[in-house]
Amino acid sequence: MNPEILLNMGNNSKYFFDSSKKNGLYFKELFNYKDLFYSLAWREFKVRYAQTFLGFIWAVIQPLATLLIFFFIFGKAIKVDTGNIPYPLFALSGLAAWSYFSFVISTSGRSIINESGMIKKIFFPRLVIPFSKALVGLIDFAISLVLLFLAMFYYKESLTWNLLFMPIFLFLILLISVGVGIWISALSLRYRDVQHIIPFFIQIGLYATPVAYSANEIPEKYQLIYHLLNPMAGIIEGFRWSLMASELNLFYLFYSFILVLCIFISSIFYFMKIEKIMADIL
Amino acid sequence: MDKAIIRVENLSKKYIIGNKLNGTLRETFVNKWSSIIGKRNNLTQEFLALNELNFNVNQGEVLGIIGKNGAGKSTLLKILSRITEPTSGRFIINGRVSSLLEVGTGFHPELTGRENIYLNGTILGMSRKEVKIKFDEIVDFSGVEKFIETPVKHYSSGMYVRLAFAVAAHLEPEILIIDEVLAVGDAEFQKKCLGKMQDVAGQGKTVLLVSHNMNAINSLCNNSLYIKNGKNIKFGNTSETIDFYLKDSSDISNGVITYPNDKMPGDDFVVLQKVEIVNNNGENVSSIQINEIVNIRIKYIIKLNGYKPILSLYLIAPSGEIIFCSIDNSEKAYTIGNYTKTITIPADFFNSGKYSVQIAISTFNPHIVHLFQKEIISFYVHDNYSSETRQGYTGSLAGMLRPKFNWQNDI
Repeated sequence: MNPEILLNMGNNSKYFFDSSKKNGLYFKELFNYKDLFYSLAWREFKVRYAQTFLGFIWAVIQPLATLLIFFFIFGKAIKVDTGNIPYPLFALSGLAAWSYFSFVISTSGRSIINESGMIKKIFFPRLVIPFSKALVGLIDFAISLVLLFLAMFYYKESLTWNLLFMPIFLFLILLISVGVGIWISALSLRYRDVQHIIPFFIQIGLYATPVAYSANEIPEKYQLIYHLLNPMAGIIEGFRWSLMASELNLFYLFYSFILVLCIFISSIFYFMKIEKIMADIL
Repeated sequence: MDKAIIRVENLSKKYIIGNKLNGTLRETFVNKWSSIIGKRNNLTQEFLALNELNFNVNQGEVLGIIGKNGAGKSTLLKILSRITEPTSGRFIINGRVSSLLEVGTGFHPELTGRENIYLNGTILGMSRKEVKIKFDEIVDFSGVEKFIETPVKHYSSGMYVRLAFAVAAHLEPEILIIDEVLAVGDAEFQKKCLGKMQDVAGQGKTVLLVSHNMNAINSLCNNSLYIKNGKNIKFGNTSETIDFYLKDSSDISNGVITYPNDKMPGDDFVVLQKVEIVNNNGENVSSIQINEIVNIRIKYIIKLNGYKPILSLYLIAPSGEIIFCSIDNSEKAYTIGNYTKTITIPADFFNSGKYSVQIAISTFNPHIVHLFQKEIISFYVHDNYSSETRQGYTGSLAGMLRPKFNWQNDI
């Protein structure tokens, strides 16, 4: 027997729906909870640096520290080829995008399990939780972007018309981060092992993505497989291209775009499926 | 037209126990493998938390839900508040629901009182604007103005709960679902909660309340639902439903205990045969109203002559202490035969709670205890005073007894 739930949402219009066809209402309800989304993001932000001496200066120190390491290892010791772009600019642009991605997938990935207390006690669209993590991450992302623009000013790197495309790449970064984050949050509920895989995934991913080096360093014959396996590669290259006119392969970019859309949409559907049994299996 | 604001039809919820659904990857592979090679996993067991439950609630009704732990009360509330979905059946709710299954859901210890009010308010479904409008009222109600900018981790547990309840109390739903929230906090706080709930009920809103506090249920709810093993056992007038529940869940058989011939307690001279709790109408009962009389009837058999056995009855308070011992002062009967004696305890004598009876039969000269039977039979005394008499107070009143005396105004 199929459970059938009928609810009137209280604003005079009556809704009739059963569990197999409630998508329209689902997103309307999600929108109604936008204030919760802000509240949760605000909480995450406040709590993260609560009682630390430096407060959110840490958000500046963290990318700079990684940048410094990359600068000495890849910039000075290995001397990777970054074309005309000064190495710190090259690495910082990649790092900004990658840090956002890794922040969102690790925090939203464990968010559902962390909020189990809330999920078992009150109803709200659970998607609000992983979404709110993506919002928090934007603060750090914005800080890294400011650092990046300051550094570009320092190196006298001039901006090009490519900059007009930057919002598209920001959007793609957002979409893939949230999509992967939602996938992990739902999967880790079903299989707790996933939680333990994520740190490795992030660590390997950092070196498997053109963050610290240019994708041109990859031998010609591996280029295709490299980009097919890692949609972040195309996105980060595109993001860098929009800022400082590095090289860009449109085919890889388009492929990444399609893949990101698929990841995002499938994540929502999988999450909605798990959401129904969330309170029971937590 | 259909007056029901909540309609529950054949609602069932099945849980699978034994084999965890949220197992590890390894378990999934093992399970897949055993299903491929045709091995069946016999460890799984189904558990019906709710079993074909049916009931309706009308607009403005305050419904009490009672039952033992594990009867399915919380599962029902979780389904109605949409935290989890039913396995089968359906329910219809016509209105905005707020559920309070816990106070302070989502409170974060590092955040200040102010920040937590906004956070908790939005979790409960309010918009930030709504919270802002009610903010001063919430702070007033909670009584923690002075600490509103302090992280709640520095709050005492009482302050914490008060603040959390204050937020919840300012929700404006059409239907309010509450689970045992009254169990937290001190007496004064509970009184405040109940007062607020009476306000809500008075505004014509629909309330579903789960509680083990029968006084609260009795004074707040018009109708009650008694759930046992996920089934609707009784639905109707609160007082009757509570009576039925107390009788049904009582460990003592319906107000009467009869010893089989070979198991009668006692010795060669005298044995106890039967003990009954009898109400005013001559019925055996295991629960009585506080303003009813209680008869305790004892049957015993004297089997040999020679001693002069006398009956004494001990009454045990809910706390376990002996309240009194009453010694048989009726016309003495010492010869062989069956005897029945009844004592009547006046109405308005007991407090509310579970009282039990001990009986001794002894000869005083020479001193012989023929039998001393502890915890023979129990009965519940059920406080049926309306909320007006108690001015809305539904907490317990102290004391082993609550006799009714005549109070007079001295001028």
